[in-house]
Amino acid sequence: MKRISATVRLNRSTLQFDDAAYARLENYLAESASLLEGDPDPQEILGDLEQAVADQCMRRLRPDQTVVTLAELVPALEEIGSVQTPTSPAGPEQTTRAAPRPLQQVSEGAVISGVCQGLARYFGLNVTALRIFAVLLLLVTGGGVILVYFALMLLFPYAPLESGGQPLRWLPAKSRAFTEFLRAKLSFATN
Amino acid sequence: MIVESKLAPIRKGLLEFLVLKIVGTRSVYVPDILRRLAGTEFATQEGTLYPLLSKLRREDLVRYDWQESDAGPPRKYYRLTDAGRAQLAALDDYWNRINRTIADMGH
Repeated sequence: MKRISATVRLNRSTLQFDDAAYARLENYLAESASLLEGDPDPQEILGDLEQAVADQCMRRLRPDQTVVTLAELVPALEEIGSVQTPTSPAGPEQTTRAAPRPLQQVSEGAVISGVCQGLARYFGLNVTALRIFAVLLLLVTGGGVILVYFALMLLFPYAPLESGGQPLRWLPAKSRAFTEFLRAKLSFATN
Repeated sequence: MIVESKLAPIRKGLLEFLVLKIVGTRSVYVPDILRRLAGTEFATQEGTLYPLLSKLRREDLVRYDWQESDAGPPRKYYRLTDAGRAQLAALDDYWNRINRTIADMGH
């Protein structure tokens, strides 16, 4: 058995969506709802958007067609566009609750490759404390942590260099070049 | 283009002003507003307009009435409140001052 369509109530209109289109629609509405987090009246806006989707899809249905497919939904959503809240262009609000930074290595100001800086930034730690801890680990593990560092160096993507940031020191620049060289080799080997 | 991206924040900020201007001419529903802006520097989308209109409604600058349509469900028609009209006049005024300043600066 396979469900082939769903009846969807979009604000004041009712429409049939096939499975793929329904999934895409759910996705769009969930994304809109998360973009509207913090808005005092998200229900009103979501209702308006639902109606817009319904209107746009109905306009695109052929006269003999009853079920909305991706062929109608995708261009409809494109025309509606993703949610832009009126406060977002101002900027500061967005930067204060910026998305969590991914685990990266930070070449600028790095001692070796920037792994410690990346970890400190990700977990909100003091980088100097983390480096001291790493050196202690190096002594305790008898050098085993070097392998871990090396693995993280290969795994962590590099944070984009900030324009106007401090120039790279010799070792971070070299290890960055080395990592990139190894990664190229490895992806060559796996292909 | 570089020129366009330089003034992008200003353009975004002016959208509210323009929407008030359009809503001020007559009572309109969202496709009317989109059509009016399409092809200009301020062309925009429903995803942008609905959150903006919701904000303007909360600020009591616009309000809407439901109007029956011959095709499909009733539509929201927006118009300015008195506060919206006052705000629009103030914005118009300020915008004209800015334009004069810019025009005079070259002399």
